[in-house]
Amino acid sequence: MHPLPLSRAPRAALLALVGLLALPACSDDDDNNTPDAGQPDSGTPTDAGTDAGTDAGTGDGGTGGVADPANWPRDFSCEGKEQATLTFNPGEEQELQDAVNALVECTTIQLGAGTFQFDNAITIRANGITVKGAGKGAQGEATGGEASTVLDFSNAAANTNGLDVVGKLFTVTDLTVWNAKKDGMRIESSSNVFIQRVRTEWSQENLESNGKYGIYPVKSTYVLVEDCEAYNAADAGIYVGQTTHTIVRRNVAKKNVAGIEIENTKFAHVTNNTATDNTTGLVVFDLPGNPIRGTDIYVAHNTITGNNRPNFASVEASSSTVSQVPAGTGTFILASRRVEFEHNTWGDNNTVDIAILSGLAIEADPVQWAPGFFNYPSADIYIHDNTFTGGSGGRVDNGTPDAERRPLGALVGAVYAYGAAVHDSPGVEHVLWDGIDPAPRNESLSNPINICVTGNTLPEGTRSALVDFDLQAVGGHLLSPTPNVAAAWEETRRYEQGAAPYNCSGFSPALTIR
Amino acid sequence: MHKPFIPGLGLAAVLLTAALASCSGDEDGVTPQPDAGTTERDSGLPPEDSGTPDAGDAGDDAGTPDAGGDDAGTPDAGEVFPPTTLSGFGLFTGTPAAGGLRPVEGNIPYTLTTPLFSDYSVKTRTLFIPPDTSARYSASEVLDLPVGTIITKTFAFPADLRVPEENVRVIETRVLVRRPGGWEAFPYFWNEAQTEATLANGGRVVRDVRFIGEDGVERRLDYLVPSKNQCLKCHHVQDAQDNQVLVPIGVKARYLNREHDYGGEALNQLQHLANLGRLTGLPPLDSVPRAPNAFNEEEASLEHRARTYLDINCAHCHNPKATSGTTSRLFLNVENTDAFTLGVCKRPGSAGGGVGGEFDIVPGSHSTSILWYRMDTEESGKMMPELGRALRHNQASRLIADWIDAMPPQSCK
Repeated sequence: MHPLPLSRAPRAALLALVGLLALPACSDDDDNNTPDAGQPDSGTPTDAGTDAGTDAGTGDGGTGGVADPANWPRDFSCEGKEQATLTFNPGEEQELQDAVNALVECTTIQLGAGTFQFDNAITIRANGITVKGAGKGAQGEATGGEASTVLDFSNAAANTNGLDVVGKLFTVTDLTVWNAKKDGMRIESSSNVFIQRVRTEWSQENLESNGKYGIYPVKSTYVLVEDCEAYNAADAGIYVGQTTHTIVRRNVAKKNVAGIEIENTKFAHVTNNTATDNTTGLVVFDLPGNPIRGTDIYVAHNTITGNNRPNFASVEASSSTVSQVPAGTGTFILASRRVEFEHNTWGDNNTVDIAILSGLAIEADPVQWAPGFFNYPSADIYIHDNTFTGGSGGRVDNGTPDAERRPLGALVGAVYAYGAAVHDSPGVEHVLWDGIDPAPRNESLSNPINICVTGNTLPEGTRSALVDFDLQAVGGHLLSPTPNVAAAWEETRRYEQGAAPYNCSGFSPALTIR
Repeated sequence: MHKPFIPGLGLAAVLLTAALASCSGDEDGVTPQPDAGTTERDSGLPPEDSGTPDAGDAGDDAGTPDAGGDDAGTPDAGEVFPPTTLSGFGLFTGTPAAGGLRPVEGNIPYTLTTPLFSDYSVKTRTLFIPPDTSARYSASEVLDLPVGTIITKTFAFPADLRVPEENVRVIETRVLVRRPGGWEAFPYFWNEAQTEATLANGGRVVRDVRFIGEDGVERRLDYLVPSKNQCLKCHHVQDAQDNQVLVPIGVKARYLNREHDYGGEALNQLQHLANLGRLTGLPPLDSVPRAPNAFNEEEASLEHRARTYLDINCAHCHNPKATSGTTSRLFLNVENTDAFTLGVCKRPGSAGGGVGGEFDIVPGSHSTSILWYRMDTEESGKMMPELGRALRHNQASRLIADWIDAMPPQSCK
C-alpha cells in the first residue's frame, strides 16, 4: 500500500537507473531542500537506541510463562457452563450455517471428514466456540478424505471470507479452508484464539486474485497459531496483525507472497516455523497509521530459505506493502523494535537474508505514523547464533528489478551490479540495514539503532556479514539527474561479523517471552 | 553532501521525533501491558458478553412485540421468538403471490431520501413502534426507538427495473427487533411460491438472479441473503467496552425527512409519526435536517449529494465508532469535516490488494482514488462495501467520480 518514497522520484530516472543509462536533466524535485544528513546533532532527536529498551518489555515482570498458552489470562470461560456439541457432515452445509447463526456460547461444532461446499462465509459471533474437523490433509488436497475435512469456498458468494469470527475463547482445529474468496480465516477483535492444525490454501499458484490472507488473526489478544499450513495467498499465508501476545510455532508457509507476517504486534513468540518458496519468508513490521506499536518479537528455530517466488501481489498501482518487496527476501524488519533472532536458518534467498528497514522507507511522511506515536524507527535488533547457509544475495529481485513496483530492489540491484563488476562483490551481505534511522541520518552515530549481529554461523569464505546501505545517500546519487553509481557504491559500508559497532550483545531489558 | 532521501523530512522528523519522546510514555500508559498472567489482562473489558445481543435463545420474553390485549391487527410475536416465519410477526397481510404484502395498521411504511444500494434490489420498509410507546427525535443519530420496535426491509427484483411493479420476485425480508438487551437482526427468506418467508439464520445464496436495469441492460448476479451474524458486519458500532453492538442504519431524521403517500394522502414521514404519537421531540419541520436524494441535482450541491451517498452507504462502517473505521481512519459519516480522515491524500490504513491508487482520494482525479476504485470495481476482495453488493452502482460511481474530479486538483505526497 505504501510505495517507497523512491517511487516518487522521476519515473524516467528510476527506469534509466535500472539500465544505468545517462539521463537528461529533467527534474529539480530533489533540490528544494538543503541536505542536512551531515549536520551534527540534527539526527539525534530520535531516541531509538535508548528509548526502545525502556518503552517495552518492562511490564512483563520477568515471570516468563507468557509463551505458554496455559498461563494466558482469560476474560471468558466455559467452566461450569453447558457445553453442547453439534455434529455436521458434508451435505449438511445449510444446517451448519443455520446453527452457526444461532449459537449458544460454549458450543463445539464437530465437522465430519470429507468436503463441505459452502456458498457463504461461516460467520461466528459468539464466545467459547470450537470448530473441529477430522484433519487438515496435505498440501494440494482440495477434497477431504477419511481423516481430513476440507471447507471448500470455491463457489461462495463474492467478497466473502472462509471463516469469519469475532469471539472470546475461540478454537479452530484440524481442517482446511480451500479457495476462500477473500481471507481464508479472519478472526478479529477476539481474545484467547487457538488455531491448530489448520491448512489454508488456494488451488492456483501465483494468482493475484487469490485471497489475500490465509490465517489472519487481527486486533486480538492471546493468539496461538500452531502446526498450521498456508499456501498460495496473494498477500500473506499467516498474518498476525495488531495483536498483543501471540505464539506462532511449527507452521509451514509456502508459495505465498509473504509467508509469515507479524504486524503491529506486541509480544510475539515465533518459533520452529518453515517459510520457504515465498516472495518473502518471515517478516516483522509496523504499518503507518496503526495505533498499536509493535514490540518484543522473539524469532527462533525457524527455517527461512529459498524465498524466491516472483512477487505476484497486485499489479495495480502499489497499494500493498508486500507488493513492493523484491523476490528473494528472506526476512525484513520494518518499523520494528526489540526483535531477537536466534537459532534460525537462512539461505538461498536471492536478494538478501535479512533486511532491516525504517518505516520511512515505505511511508516517508512522519505524520502518517502519528497514530502509533511515530513508530517508524526500527531499533534494537539482535541477530545471534543463527545459521546462514549461503546462496543468498546474488540475484537481487531474481535479476528482474522493477523500478516502478519494487524500487528498493531496483536500487540495491543497481548498486550490487556495479559492485560485482568493479569490486568483485559476491552479492548482498546476509544482513542489510537501510541506514535511515535515525532520520535524518547522523554520520557521527556509529550504530544508532542498536543492531547486534554476533555469533552466527556464516558460509565459509564470507567476507562481510552486514552492509550499512545508506539508502538516503545511495538514493541521492542514483536518483539525481546525473546518476553516479560509483559514488553510490562508495556510500555503502560493509562489516565482518564481530566487528564494531555491530558486535553488541542485544538490548536491555532482554525479552521476557523467550 | 547528500541528496536528501526524503525532501523536507529534516525539520519535520526532528519535531516529530521530539514529539515521540514525549508521547511514548503516554502510549504505553494506555496500552495493555503484559502481565504475570495472574490478573485480569485488561480491566477495561467487561466480564463476558454484557451488552452484546445474544444469539437468539428462543422463548426469551424480551421485547417480543406484543400488542398486548385485544386490539386485533397489531403485531404479535406469538409464542416463540423469533418466529420461524415472517407471518409469525403479524406485521403484514397478503403475500407477494397474492397481490403483495400489506403492512397492518400501525406498521408504518416509509422511504428514505437516499437509500443504501443493494445490487439494484427494490426495497420496501416498515416501522412498527409499539402502542403507548414512542421514539425520541434526534437531529443527527438514529431515532431512539423503544423496546419492541420492529423494522422490516423487504428486498425484491423486478424482471425489468423500468417497470418495477411487474414480475417482481421477492427474495428476503430482514427484520430488526429492538429488545431490552439491544437490537437483533433476523433474515427471512421467501419461498419460490412467494407465499411465505422462513427464518434463515444461516443466510442463503440465490444463484443467477437476472433483471433488466433502468438502462435496458440485463444484469445477473448470485444474490447473497446475509446470515444473521453477517448483519453485524454492517449494523454495528463499538460500545465503550469495544463490543460490537447492533444498530439500525437508515432511521435517521435526515433520511426520513420526506413525504410518503399514506392512503392517498402525502405527508411528511416524521410528521406522520409524530401525529400518530410515535415520535416525540420533533422540532418544526423546517429546522429538521434533510439528506437530499443523492441523484437529484435540483435538491443539493454535488458535494452534499456525494457526501450523502457515502454517509448512507459507507459510514455505518467508516465512522469513528466502527471497527473498520477505526482501523482505516477513513470516516465517511456526513458530520466529518476533516479532509484527511475523509480520505483526501490519505493512504489506506492497512495492507491489502491493489486498489487503483495510493490514496483514498486524490482531488481532481477519481481514477487514481482508491475510494472510487473500490466503489467502481466488481472484483471480489476489492469492492466495497464488503457485503450487499456484487454489482456496480453506475449512478453512484459517476456521482463520486464527479465529486472527486470537481475538487481543486492536488498532488498527494
